[in-house]
Amino acid sequence: MRSANKTGIIALTLVIGALSSAVQAQAPTPPGPGPLRPYAFPPVNQFQLDNGLKVIVVEKHNLPVVEGRLIIDAGAQREPAAKNGLASLTGRLLSEGTPDLSGAEIARQMDALGAQYSTGGGYSTSFADVVALSNVFPQAMQLAAKTVMSPSFPPTEFIRVKNQALAAYQQSHARTQGLASDAFIRAAFDTAAPFSRPPNGTLASINALTRDDVVNWHRTMYAPAASTLLLVGDITPAEARTVAQQAFGGWKTTRASAGPVLNPIRLSTGTRVILVDRPGSVQSTVVVGQPGFQATDPDYIAMLALNQVLGGAVSSRLNTNLREKHGYTYGAFSFLDLRPQAGTFQISSEVRTNATDSALVEAISEYRRIVAEPVPGPELQGLLNNLVSGFPNAVQSVQGLTGRLQNLIIWGLPMDFYTTYRERLAAVTPEDVRRVATSKLKPDNLVVVVAGDLSKIEAPIRARNLGTVEVWDPTGNKVR
Amino acid sequence: MRLRYLAVSLLCLAAANAGAQAKSSPAGKSPELRIDFTRETLPNGLNVIYHVDHSTPVAAVLLWYNVGSKMEQPGRTGFAHLFEHMMFQGSKNVPKGQHFGLLEAAGGRGGADINGTTNWDRTNYFEQVPSNQLELALWLESDRMGTLLEAMDQAKLDNQREVVKNERRQGIDNQPYGTAFEKLEEAVFPDGHPYHHDVIGSMADLSAASLSDVQNFFKTYYAPNNAVLVIAGDIDVPQAKQMVRKYFGPIPRGPKVPPLANMSLPALIGHQQRYVIVDSLAPAPAIYVGYRVPSAKDRRAPVVTLLGDVLSTGRSSRLYDALVRRQQVATNVGGGEFGLADGADMLIFTATGKPGSNPDSLEVALMAELAGASSFTQAELDRARAAERFQFVNGLQTTGGFGGRADRLAEGWTHFRDPNHVNTVLRDYDRVTLDDLNALARERIVPANRVVLIYVPAKKPASPTRAP
Repeated sequence: MRSANKTGIIALTLVIGALSSAVQAQAPTPPGPGPLRPYAFPPVNQFQLDNGLKVIVVEKHNLPVVEGRLIIDAGAQREPAAKNGLASLTGRLLSEGTPDLSGAEIARQMDALGAQYSTGGGYSTSFADVVALSNVFPQAMQLAAKTVMSPSFPPTEFIRVKNQALAAYQQSHARTQGLASDAFIRAAFDTAAPFSRPPNGTLASINALTRDDVVNWHRTMYAPAASTLLLVGDITPAEARTVAQQAFGGWKTTRASAGPVLNPIRLSTGTRVILVDRPGSVQSTVVVGQPGFQATDPDYIAMLALNQVLGGAVSSRLNTNLREKHGYTYGAFSFLDLRPQAGTFQISSEVRTNATDSALVEAISEYRRIVAEPVPGPELQGLLNNLVSGFPNAVQSVQGLTGRLQNLIIWGLPMDFYTTYRERLAAVTPEDVRRVATSKLKPDNLVVVVAGDLSKIEAPIRARNLGTVEVWDPTGNKVR
Repeated sequence: MRLRYLAVSLLCLAAANAGAQAKSSPAGKSPELRIDFTRETLPNGLNVIYHVDHSTPVAAVLLWYNVGSKMEQPGRTGFAHLFEHMMFQGSKNVPKGQHFGLLEAAGGRGGADINGTTNWDRTNYFEQVPSNQLELALWLESDRMGTLLEAMDQAKLDNQREVVKNERRQGIDNQPYGTAFEKLEEAVFPDGHPYHHDVIGSMADLSAASLSDVQNFFKTYYAPNNAVLVIAGDIDVPQAKQMVRKYFGPIPRGPKVPPLANMSLPALIGHQQRYVIVDSLAPAPAIYVGYRVPSAKDRRAPVVTLLGDVLSTGRSSRLYDALVRRQQVATNVGGGEFGLADGADMLIFTATGKPGSNPDSLEVALMAELAGASSFTQAELDRARAAERFQFVNGLQTTGGFGGRADRLAEGWTHFRDPNHVNTVLRDYDRVTLDDLNALARERIVPANRVVLIYVPAKKPASPTRAP
């Protein structure tokens, strides 16, 4: 803090002198663990209402908080290509009016309860989510249910929320992260795959959406038999049954059952490097990865282990290399972006402009190394235990629990998945990791996306000869 | 509402996630909720707070050092936070990389469970681990409190300097409107005031930081008598006390910490300020407005929070209802207080316009709403209170980590010398009257106490975005 003046140096010496005595008392090696306390994932209760709505209840009573999340099999993957953004826009509009309540009145009533209410649509599903203190939760859930079952989509609110969606798109594309993630999915999936399109739509596709589109989407896609209600927190199964029945018992819409959506991936021959310009950037977003991963794969658990070694944790290889060794970034991580049928595996990092090419080389070399070399047992053990022992931390909150339960539904996993999750993780061996690395990772056929200031980064990246280089505009058209 | 955990973190992964005793209560009333604790002071001055909760086999260790960016010297902005990064670079018995290596292998999640954060007033460090790994966390924290400098070197400093510069780029320099908070702080707090500069600091000052700065800062502020340690969760208190004595007991008391600069300020800024910023990264105009308000330690702090809420929290708030819903001049609004502890705090409001829209109409509409902000209704106050009640209880779900129970206990001790503060927060909100709210608005939401930043895109957007 202060400059090293004379007094500073003297005082410092004194402190170090004093510290030596502390060191003598400090054990030089870390203490081992005490006896492990038992942990079990809470029981998952399930029942169905007469109208076909599935209800899943998980109790957690230490604080008076409950989350109710309705997920509807009406995600962007089911919308026609020409109506890209419709599921999301419809989801956002749910809370903006019913036949007897204006959007403003719904907001006032929810806020008066202190309830957090959000609605929307993602790739796979649409949702309506309420979190509230348990004493007001039934009221909040009932109000939310009204907005899901009988939204009126007032024309003025339609125009407003559509303008907000257009603005959100532009705000997203004003950032390197938004540009890079849109380009990555366009490159990773076949153009016929709904997953190749941004779930919130594009400027052109959102602009083309009409109120009739929204009304029709809601009428044909929202139905109890195509939905699941998660009730998590300070609520008993008996209370949950009452709440669910009162809120959704009157929902009578029916819908033809819909099969899985085809989401073909794009298999590239050789590595594709896609550059997107964002002038003036002092950092670039780099994404390196490939499509073709799903949670229902028998090797999903081994793939999670692989991800931990490569970049799932702070002490994983990527962050250790790109941040702690080279100082290229504030953080470098990898993750599985899982979706039904086909997800992606990605490395992602924000790196300083003049180190963009070097950071790419390091990221790809780590991707290559995990395929080429066996993972040492102790390294795997520690990072696996991070997931195994860290799981109870992650589900301390109702939001943490709800998020994980929702994923099971979206990814098509059984509801008892977490009962044996930790045991199955703990059983993963270096050989398992090697098997998934060599069979699933294709380090010579990567999708690489970089969004940043091309006037500064394009030439250095081309000079690295990482693969075929293409420059795209923000909407995914090849410029050169 | 306090702006969401407004601190600069070691890592960017932030995920929030409870044994509290609670009873449900009728709508409109705060739940009866109590966080039990015991406290002791070691001979070396370390204050320790213990909170027991066996509902999940998780233990949280959290340290608040009473040092933040407000203690930084001229020419060394950003140093408290850079120093925080150095605390993760290893100490006498912990090689570089092993703080995270050991804790992650023990089951703590880097980012959400294991992290450090620096704000204007304090620096915190935390580990949330399976409860059988409590001793490891205490060993690691004591090793760096006692022996950090024995393993410090220039290479570590140079590496983390780059990391922090990247953090600044990621949060500020590479983002549209990224400089807004920094500019508001500069204008709401006068030159020379410790809150005049942002926690992240300037690139030039980060470049200037030296190894001797690291050494001096450590010996000045990092000592048991300048910290509070919270141990929470699935713990046995007598056993935890033994561990604390074993690991922290031998660390000597540090020198008396230099007194804080005079933080007091006049109630009002005293003159209107308006700045236009041409932002080449921004796709749409945006306005940021800041006001000087009573600090987080002031008895009126709960009124400040509720004032921010009635104006900008939720879709029934004044600004959302007027600017986003009715007039449709904004696509989004926001706001809240920073939570600054000494002298004065800052309450801000933001409104983002549509791409291609005229910033003037956005400014006129926002100023008109703020000018009328002194005639709130009981219903508005009740909604604001309901929002705070929910947020408070929701935050207590986590034992440690960001803003969890351990953090609340440490905050109460550091700011009020009262760990029981956590148990009075809801009552303090319940006591605020409509007169309190309107009086504060009349006093502070005035032009002479206002800083306005107008962000204007440097170029026109590529295509119009009107809805048909």
